[in-house]
Amino acid sequence: MTATIDEDRLSETFAALANSTRRAILARLLEGEANVNELADPFDLTLPAISKHIKVLERAGLIARGQRAQYRPCTLDPTPLEEISTWAEQYRPVWEARFDRMGSYLEQLQPQRKADEHDG
Amino acid sequence: MADNNPSVDSVVIERTLDAPVDLIWQMWTDPQHFKAWYGPDGATIPVAKMDVRVGGTRLVCMQMETPDGTMQMWFTGEYREIVENERLVYTESMSDENGNVRSPSDMGMPEGHPETTEIIVELDDVSGRTKMVMTHAGVPGDSPGAAGWNMALDKLAAHVEAQSG
Repeated sequence: MTATIDEDRLSETFAALANSTRRAILARLLEGEANVNELADPFDLTLPAISKHIKVLERAGLIARGQRAQYRPCTLDPTPLEEISTWAEQYRPVWEARFDRMGSYLEQLQPQRKADEHDG
Repeated sequence: MADNNPSVDSVVIERTLDAPVDLIWQMWTDPQHFKAWYGPDGATIPVAKMDVRVGGTRLVCMQMETPDGTMQMWFTGEYREIVENERLVYTESMSDENGNVRSPSDMGMPEGHPETTEIIVELDDVSGRTKMVMTHAGVPGDSPGAAGWNMALDKLAAHVEAQSG
């Protein structure tokens, strides 16, 4: 399996997620599509401020917007989040190797235990 | 629910180790033991300072011999949760030797690398052996706390699974 990662896209995703208002907007969209007014409702923010957050999320590809002129509902697009998973997966072989070493070290520390298990 | 949905931005590894939980706990919290396995291969851990209490800091140095000489990488972090022999949560960031956080891009890491990551270790006694689950997740810089972030991601992960399932 080859993991290809678009670094620019990843930074954009992380940047978009690194804000509590934007994460709250995404959480709201998990419940279904909403327009800007509906998204602004729970926040003490102006509509332009909310629109700015939505644009950041849109640029990061995390939300899609409908084309109906007045309404333009936002919907969640989780694709970029799947790419983050490839980022974290880079750490897997590092940790696997560490835990292999931990296992060998534990055998050195407990020679008696190894002997006990020998017939098992 | 969180236990069954792998977080979207994390690596989760489960191992069953042939040792009692208290010894596995020491693997993570006693510098002497930690240095013996943390590696990576070809590296040594000359420094591992661990103030194992909630809010306490840690500082770890990895040292490698390269053709260009000795290379050191420093990592700092803070202990978030400590339940002896059961659960350990700490953060990790790249730093200098004094524990001042350095941004990953300054250190030559790829752009998408989050500045702070979080390591969660969960231990379970299974008839004298230990089931260990390690979760390593990214935490964005201005996150008020990993909990909210992880919760949001768990929800999103569930959503992704529902969509792709």
